[in-house]
Amino acid sequence: MNPSLVLRLTWLLLKKDLRVAARSRETWVLVLLFAILCVLVFAFGFLREGGDGAEVVPGALWVTLQFSATVALMRLFSAEEEAGALTTVSRSVAGSAPLFFSKALMQLIFTGGVTLTVLPLVLVFFGATAMPIGPTLAALLLGLLGQAVVGTLVAGLMLRVRQRDVLLPLVLYPILAPTLIAGVKVTAISASGGDPEVIATWLRLMVVFDAVFVLACPWLYARASGP
Amino acid sequence: MSGEVLLRAEGLAAAVDRRYVLLDLGLELRAGEVTAIAGENGAGKTTLLGLLAGERAPDRGTVRLAGVALAEADPAALASRIGVLGHRPGLYLELSAVENVVLFAALAGRPCTAAEALAHLQSVGLAAADAARPVRHYSRGMAQRAAIARLIASGATIWLLDEPSTGLDRQGCATLRALLRDAADQGRALCVVSHDPELLAAADRRLELRGGQLHDAGGA
Repeated sequence: MNPSLVLRLTWLLLKKDLRVAARSRETWVLVLLFAILCVLVFAFGFLREGGDGAEVVPGALWVTLQFSATVALMRLFSAEEEAGALTTVSRSVAGSAPLFFSKALMQLIFTGGVTLTVLPLVLVFFGATAMPIGPTLAALLLGLLGQAVVGTLVAGLMLRVRQRDVLLPLVLYPILAPTLIAGVKVTAISASGGDPEVIATWLRLMVVFDAVFVLACPWLYARASGP
Repeated sequence: MSGEVLLRAEGLAAAVDRRYVLLDLGLELRAGEVTAIAGENGAGKTTLLGLLAGERAPDRGTVRLAGVALAEADPAALASRIGVLGHRPGLYLELSAVENVVLFAALAGRPCTAAEALAHLQSVGLAAADAARPVRHYSRGMAQRAAIARLIASGATIWLLDEPSTGLDRQGCATLRALLRDAADQGRALCVVSHDPELLAAADRRLELRGGQLHDAGGA
């Protein structure tokens, strides 16, 4: 496989996805509204007069982002499905790798955009603006990267499966459990002013998770999307 | 290179819903030749095109591209040499026809400029103003014309077309027949699945898919 060709076609497909998203807007609007709604539900559900809102931040933040990311995943291949172009695009001169990488990057861009909206909302609503944000940002970056590559693989493989909207989270979350737990732990420990060494250990676990799946997922996708 | 076998299928068998629709089927697609395949609904024509394109694997038999089995062929060779026009136009609805042609040409390893894409689109009768509009606003016939332009721009030497005259008006059908003839005269091997009598009559070789096998139905 020619890496420069893979990169060039990945960029081409990513530009196409960004253009389609900018013109249709439906996924952006849908995911953002869903995320804001989740934050509001958590705020009304968990905030009590005199209670410590910061305790709820890890759960509210990560659950909101994971739910929103799952909604985005369900729409990730919708342009290809609508066009009936999945086979042609996954059989480019560089194989299926450009499609996989462009979709994973698109998912990362989507969830990154949602994070930029949701994180300040959560911190303000739950009165946690004084919380050290560095470790949480690192955990979010690693967690969303893992979610994007594993999610793209699972969403791509389920395109021909009936009831995939139900099955996708059922298959996805058990795989993501280690990185999700680590991410929530990082946010919880940093919110309570815990030991930086423990935070670093959880972050290392997330790095290992990402490294394994960033290498494995494109290969698995290529194997599974062939004839 | 007229007459050279570009794609060869041997002993193909394929089942759909546990029922064999193709049985011990053989076919050669030669450079410079238009092969038309007719057959009743459900005879297995689309399944056959999928096997020839390498989009699905046969239950038995092999399809060889320049002597290499498709299962072992380099993805670059498959994408650049085999062009498929399926049941659906296969175009991104939010992109214009020009953007689609440029994108798919690059994916097939034949990058082209917007001006070249426009020229391909105009050659199939799509006006410049229409070519710049999103495909979502096209009629079925316009989308089919854009899909044909996408196939031309791919530079593929083997064209596999499934009901290519779908949605086309009389003028569009005439343009399509002339275009297929030109493509064959330029050394391409074409396989057209169709029910359109005029399109079938314009082919060099006519076959009928019946009982899982291809039968000679005459030629020009």
